[in-house]
Amino acid sequence: MTETLLTIALRFGVLSLFAIGGGVSILIPQLHEEVVRQYHWVDDRAFAELIAISQASPGPNFLLIPLIGWRVASWPGAFVGLVAFMSIPLVLSVTVGRILHDRENETIALLRRAFRPLTGGMWIASGIVVARTVDHAVADVVVTIIVAACAIFVEANPLWWCVGAGVLGALIG
Amino acid sequence: MSARPPTLAEILLGFVQIGLSSVGGAASPLRYVMVVRRRWLSETDFSEIFGVAQALPGATGANVAAMVADRFGGLPATLVALAGFCLPSMFLAIGLLALATRLSASSSRFVAAETAVTSAVAGLFIGNGIRMALVLWKANTAEQRRWRAARVGIIALAIVLIAVFHMWIPAVVLILASASLVSEWQARKGERKQTA
Repeated sequence: MTETLLTIALRFGVLSLFAIGGGVSILIPQLHEEVVRQYHWVDDRAFAELIAISQASPGPNFLLIPLIGWRVASWPGAFVGLVAFMSIPLVLSVTVGRILHDRENETIALLRRAFRPLTGGMWIASGIVVARTVDHAVADVVVTIIVAACAIFVEANPLWWCVGAGVLGALIG
Repeated sequence: MSARPPTLAEILLGFVQIGLSSVGGAASPLRYVMVVRRRWLSETDFSEIFGVAQALPGATGANVAAMVADRFGGLPATLVALAGFCLPSMFLAIGLLALATRLSASSSRFVAAETAVTSAVAGLFIGNGIRMALVLWKANTAEQRRWRAARVGIIALAIVLIAVFHMWIPAVVLILASASLVSEWQARKGERKQTA
């Protein structure tokens, strides 16, 4: 148990440094690699369930991290995961916030610009990895493609695409 | 900024509200609560803080919460803000997860629904990424158009390295972020030369 908690703390602490451009979603391929393939904490189906719940439930998307922690090591896992993932960014944010304090900063602007193509690519890669874990039937692939098209062309709360797909899945399944 | 900094209780309530109303990203509830409803920040203050939060590692919402609360009340306010932002929605999500696991053990319809939601999430991620790529492709200045091949290359490399070769994401980030920084820096230098 202690060993699992330490692994959670270390892995999620390191990963938090690489959650660039604002979200945990771009880390999903790495989470899948470690949680499913390397440590065998959960199988593909349980991993897909964690993603579905973390997206469909109200709250910030990085709750995927404590959800994984909870699945693997119950409440201690949830809290260790949350704290491990938030600590380094918290220290960085407060430090940078104090240094910049109301000043226009060119380095920050350049950094944001440089992250854009990278996060764009990482979003797509995340989508592909998630699709590979769940899209086993043609109908699943069709859902993925339709929602991708909707996300590109229709301005709406993304929750509706998830709800719509869930209802459709329940009706057909 | 408002004349009187908010109290710890106000900070807690504000961030509980933001956390629980964040669906598909915390950006709009953050702005709504801090700028519109509670007037903690001006529109410009908010967009500046949000921009910095996005450039730092970690979840943008949590970074914004930390920076804003630290200005109002130092470490205690920061911890209160983060607890309010994360914990209520975390308990809710864990409750839903426990329920979902029980339902999926007994109902194949529920499993089908859950799979469909995850398929939709995959589509959402792909769509978001393509949308970002399209914005980068429609660059407005001639200098930026000259560099868009580099951007497309970085997008394509990120996809291939992660989804095909399962490369370690920290390495992908370090390599591609450096490459991207160099090319954006060159593009900006070119823009400067043209305006000068």
